[in-house]
Amino acid sequence: MKGGPMLMSDASSAAQPVDSRTGVSPGPALAGLCVLLVLLIRTHPLYAQSPPPAANGCVACHASQTDSRLATPAALFTQPDVHRESGFACVDCHGGSASSSDAARAHAAAQGFQGQPAGQALVATCARCHSDASFMRRYAPKQRVDQATEYAASVHGQQLANGDLKVATCSSCHNAHGIRRISDAKSPVFPTNVANTCAVCHTDTTRMASYTLPGGGALPTHQLADYQKSVHYAALTKGNDLSAPTCNDCHGNHGAAPPGVGAVTNVCGTCHAVFAQKFAASVHQPIFDKGCVECHGNHAVVKPSDQMLSAASGGACAACHTAGDASDKGTAAAVAMRTGIERLKTGIDDSDALIRRIKNAGIEVSDEQLALREAGTKLTLARTEMHGFEVGPVEAILADGMKVVEAVGRAGQEGVAELRFRRRGLAVSLGAILIFVVALGFKIRQIDRRSGTRRASL
Amino acid sequence: MKVIDWVDERLDLSGVRHFVADKGVPVHAQKIWYYLGGMTLFLFGVQVFTGILLLLYYRPSATEAYESVQFIVTEVQFGWLIRNLHSWSANLLIGLAFAHFFSVFLLKSYRKPRELTWVSGILLLFLMLGFGFSGYLLPWNELAFFATKVGTGIAGAVPLVGRFALRLLRGGDDVTGATLSRFYGLHVAVLPALTTALVALHLLFVQRQGMSVPIGVERKLKPGEHLPQMPFFPNYVLRDVLAWYVVVAVLAALAAFYPWELGTKADPFAPVPAGIRPEWYFLAMFHTLKLVPSHVLGIEGEHLGVVAFGLAALFLVLVPFLDRRASRGEPSRLFTLLAVLGLLYLVSFTIIGHYAR
Repeated sequence: MKGGPMLMSDASSAAQPVDSRTGVSPGPALAGLCVLLVLLIRTHPLYAQSPPPAANGCVACHASQTDSRLATPAALFTQPDVHRESGFACVDCHGGSASSSDAARAHAAAQGFQGQPAGQALVATCARCHSDASFMRRYAPKQRVDQATEYAASVHGQQLANGDLKVATCSSCHNAHGIRRISDAKSPVFPTNVANTCAVCHTDTTRMASYTLPGGGALPTHQLADYQKSVHYAALTKGNDLSAPTCNDCHGNHGAAPPGVGAVTNVCGTCHAVFAQKFAASVHQPIFDKGCVECHGNHAVVKPSDQMLSAASGGACAACHTAGDASDKGTAAAVAMRTGIERLKTGIDDSDALIRRIKNAGIEVSDEQLALREAGTKLTLARTEMHGFEVGPVEAILADGMKVVEAVGRAGQEGVAELRFRRRGLAVSLGAILIFVVALGFKIRQIDRRSGTRRASL
Repeated sequence: MKVIDWVDERLDLSGVRHFVADKGVPVHAQKIWYYLGGMTLFLFGVQVFTGILLLLYYRPSATEAYESVQFIVTEVQFGWLIRNLHSWSANLLIGLAFAHFFSVFLLKSYRKPRELTWVSGILLLFLMLGFGFSGYLLPWNELAFFATKVGTGIAGAVPLVGRFALRLLRGGDDVTGATLSRFYGLHVAVLPALTTALVALHLLFVQRQGMSVPIGVERKLKPGEHLPQMPFFPNYVLRDVLAWYVVVAVLAALAAFYPWELGTKADPFAPVPAGIRPEWYFLAMFHTLKLVPSHVLGIEGEHLGVVAFGLAALFLVLVPFLDRRASRGEPSRLFTLLAVLGLLYLVSFTIIGHYAR
């Protein structure tokens, strides 16, 4: 079947019996007649005006079926489908003969017909091509060929091996017909669609009722709802950031499984490398079984805030540490780091307000704005360093930030003084102009009186 | 006085002395409008003075223009004041030039024998708009960059020569450093040279022909009656100086309390920021072109709009030759109506254009 792509890509090949399989060689006269017939059809003006012929005989016959179970796959196959577009036909997966107009002969087991593959047979059907590197190189040389191996190691694959036919197989996520490339925004495995694709099964309480977590607890069905509250979902769907994580980025796709205890930090660390590095060297690393999840949750990872750094109610530290307990080193560390972070934040906000005020009054403050951005970077660095849960390094970074803020504050005060100088200068100038204008007015009146044109005054 | 006597002895200034001594300015209810021209001229002087000072530090290249203006307003002593005066003075100048234009239009001062004074004045108004358009780009900030893109794009819509005009203005297909160099050359060399020549001509005409008296005032005079005259020097000149001082006070207040923002440096690869619009004096034209349908009777709307503005400009130049009634000294209601409609159009479309998204 792997020779499939050469089979039904055009009318001429459709007209040929599958001689390579049967070993029966058609007579040269019959072959010549077929070629002549095809040429005649193709050169007829009506041919050029008619839509392109169906990809193969299976589609032609199935499309006319009234039973939607038979007609729908044929209809879907004529829509955008990566396999049809690459020259594959129905028989490449289902077997049978596309050239026979007789249903029984077309679906004969002798023709290799296997009907609708399911379960392990389906995986094997896909793997026949997708696990063959030399074959895939002809169509998608960069595509991986270990999907079947990964799948076998996944929770889905293992369950299937145990005889559970309800679990997801290839077509559950990629569809069976009308399979789109993964880069196609309409593909069910396009990043923005992955969560909903997984949710088809994982929000189905009836379907999930028979499954349990590794610890024995019931498998929840609220992952999608939780994920939709997360900062990752917002980045993916509202921020159009296709690199933002969705289900498969943490669980794997073909090898889908929950990250095990101790592996969560590694999973989060694939994107949040510095946080993971700080955490790995921290005092919490050996204590937190679930790593990052202990403070940030798993599916509902909301935007972190400085309020989390607190042992008081609502703080992430409150689960283990006691607010106000002077003997609790963790509480003391949290208070120290939080106080420093808040001080830097307030300093940045105050300096920013001052700089904006003098900017609006016309003082050029680009350098100060740049410096404030540097202070903001220090704040971010301190928040990152905080994941090491050591007060010293955090305070060192915060002190650098405060130096920048103080320098900007001084520049802001100089700007305010400059503004005062400008306005004083203006008041003096306006006063001088006013005196001159009044004096000139009197002089004009005097001259008018002298020259007899009093009437001509303004 | 010794210096004047010394020069007089050599050049014989008696002609000038007599001209100054004899020159009078008619006194009537509408004579307040006479001061607008002098105020506009004074602001042009401010522009030349502050412009020369800015030239000492400004660098006309895409990589240095923005930074040089930033340097002027932050590091150069009173650089902020000079730049603010230049920017505000430019806007006041164009405002006063428009006011002067409408006062002359409504008082029909363009009528015979002052047709050439009007033509030179209209050309000066166009030159002032050219100064505004070319100067706007020079700080090379984001708003100016994209507004110039739009503005030169409109020039590209001129039928037949549009493509040529666009490439001539931009120095290529797009707004780049080459455009900045061209606009700089226009702003500091070509336009000042033309303006100086035209201002000299305009003033020569005014001095030669004296001030125009409105038709209404003229018609009320009985045969043989003359309007009272105010000596040009020193009575009128001192009033002019007084008006200039008022302008200086307004300018100083604006420069100190409403400083001209520099904005952010232009980035040709950045997305077009929201709210791109030209300077206020082009808003009416810009908004009108936005309202013109894409096609009118099979003709591209933008082409039609640009041609219409071109015809309107030509009409303005030809007003003294078209208004036959005014040239006979008779009231000309049609041209008064046109001036009022033009004024209403400019004011309303400028306001609508300012608030339109």
